[in-house]
Amino acid sequence: MSETKQSTQSRLAPGTPLCAGCGGLQAVQQLYRILGERTVVVNAAGCMTLLAIYPFTPFAGSWLYTAMACAPAGAQGVRDALDIQLAKGRISAEEDLSTVVLTGDGAAYGMGLSATSAAIDRGLDFLYLCYDNEGYGNTGHQYSPATPRAAHTATSRVAGFAGTKKDLFAIWAAHRPAYVATAIAAEPQDLARKVKRAAALRGPRLLIVLAPCPTGWGFEPALTVKVGQLAVETGIWPLKEYVDGRIVHNKIPRERQPLADYLRLQGRFAHLFEPQRDERRLAELQQAVDDYWREIAGNTRPSP
Amino acid sequence: MYRIRLHGRGGQGIKTASRILGTALFRAGFEVQDAPRYGAERRGAPIFAYVRADDKAICERGVIHRPDLVMVADDTLLDLTSANVLEGLSGSTALLINSNRSALHWCQRLQLPGPVTVLDGGAIGARAGRVPAGAVCVGAAARLLGVVSRQALLTAVAEELAGHGAAAVEASRQAVLQAYDQFSSEAGLVQRLQVAATPTAAAPPGWIELANEALPQAAATITAPATSRQVATGLWRTRRPQIDRQRCSRCGLCLNLCPEGCIDLDEDGFPVIDYRYCKGCLLCAAQCPRKAIRICEERAVQTEKPEGGES
Repeated sequence: MSETKQSTQSRLAPGTPLCAGCGGLQAVQQLYRILGERTVVVNAAGCMTLLAIYPFTPFAGSWLYTAMACAPAGAQGVRDALDIQLAKGRISAEEDLSTVVLTGDGAAYGMGLSATSAAIDRGLDFLYLCYDNEGYGNTGHQYSPATPRAAHTATSRVAGFAGTKKDLFAIWAAHRPAYVATAIAAEPQDLARKVKRAAALRGPRLLIVLAPCPTGWGFEPALTVKVGQLAVETGIWPLKEYVDGRIVHNKIPRERQPLADYLRLQGRFAHLFEPQRDERRLAELQQAVDDYWREIAGNTRPSP
Repeated sequence: MYRIRLHGRGGQGIKTASRILGTALFRAGFEVQDAPRYGAERRGAPIFAYVRADDKAICERGVIHRPDLVMVADDTLLDLTSANVLEGLSGSTALLINSNRSALHWCQRLQLPGPVTVLDGGAIGARAGRVPAGAVCVGAAARLLGVVSRQALLTAVAEELAGHGAAAVEASRQAVLQAYDQFSSEAGLVQRLQVAATPTAAAPPGWIELANEALPQAAATITAPATSRQVATGLWRTRRPQIDRQRCSRCGLCLNLCPEGCIDLDEDGFPVIDYRYCKGCLLCAAQCPRKAIRICEERAVQTEKPEGGES
């Protein structure tokens, strides 16, 4: 691989206080290697708050911190300021920076959804990266609108989360922005291709990256990639893109692994296996995945 | 008042330990306060929690600077200045260390004025079935206080761990009891300080009115790039990955997957891990297609090389 050719300027420096084995940081690392320091990262409150705690930052480029709900609004201000500077000739086109919003699922799926919706409506030229660790990870992993059904969190104990994971991809795609995709750092080539594709477009471009979280999900940090790969192979995290009004699935698992293989690795689902296997609930969760892919197969059948 | 400070690493159940101890003291009839320190509670990172217990209402708040009992669930923290384990220890402070080294070893090494006790919690936790270090130590800590009954302790464990299922409660109860019984001869070692002992409570505040700061100071900007390189997160690590150059095929996958970005390639294209930052997640070792990354105990490596090399 050609990583040796990369300058250190386009790397996120080490020394951040994020958890060992963080699947979110892994994705941000991969993203930053492609976008580099010619960016303004607008970061809503969340785990990634910890990236830049004064006086330390891993970024070679700019970073701006906002409250939880308003990162896309912050990005609008940054974009407008840059555009004004460009129009007045104070900076050249080469000196222009791209605007990147970085938030967790709490902000993306919940508190910040309205600000994102409005930014897409205005056609803001920005790239949004949501690291989705399926809960409020930074405060002890309470449930969020991205928490999957039956997952144990600090606020859904005993039987686990009673709701279902919100389909943010569909919500974002319904706005008809330039680009929407799902990805995961455990599939680095797919993630890199999507970041490059998004970077080449203009307008609102949004990426949701599933971020396996050793701390909140309850698995050993060494298993972050394994858990991520299983999320794709079991079909619970479909890799897909929305572009030019069409949704394309990038990796349709030929034979999906049983969902239980993915769930069993994680402490947040331990109550489904101990003291005895909860066959009824496991079947219900498997059914939801099967239904999704059956619908996809139905939709894609006409195309050769 | 009893002032108890708990130290451990993220993932060792230190917050839960403080809750168990707090609930047990409450069951024993005390007014109680227990809280973890909010901040970067990261797996492997140093974690702090505080318990106060008194016969009357507790007006004191915040960090405990002058503890009566310090519980250390991970003895590698004693080597970390940032973990601040020894802060405010006096001749009357009891120190409880979870370690497979002797109390004499720690007494000589740390040169402390107060009593030092050691619990080999690793063995107890493993026997009971992977009980986190924090929970094991809490059994010994409760006995050192001398005012917590077996029953109060067991009830507290059951209450605090109820959400983790019956098996976890049972394993923890066994481990906690074993530590509690092992410390029977040390019961009541901890002395209660009768006077307010935190510097904030002792000294009246001498307020000085300051004008609001100018914006550049109030909302400070970091102008230098990549300053996080000054933060040695390698101190979190308890085990380290080591690259075996004989087996490495130089595919670069480890470098691509490292969440910390602390792997680089040398001139020959071999990956090199920067141990100043590697947090020891061991994800690289798990993913290496050639199994060319070995896992070594940090303690063993550091004994070999007391200087602590960088690669």
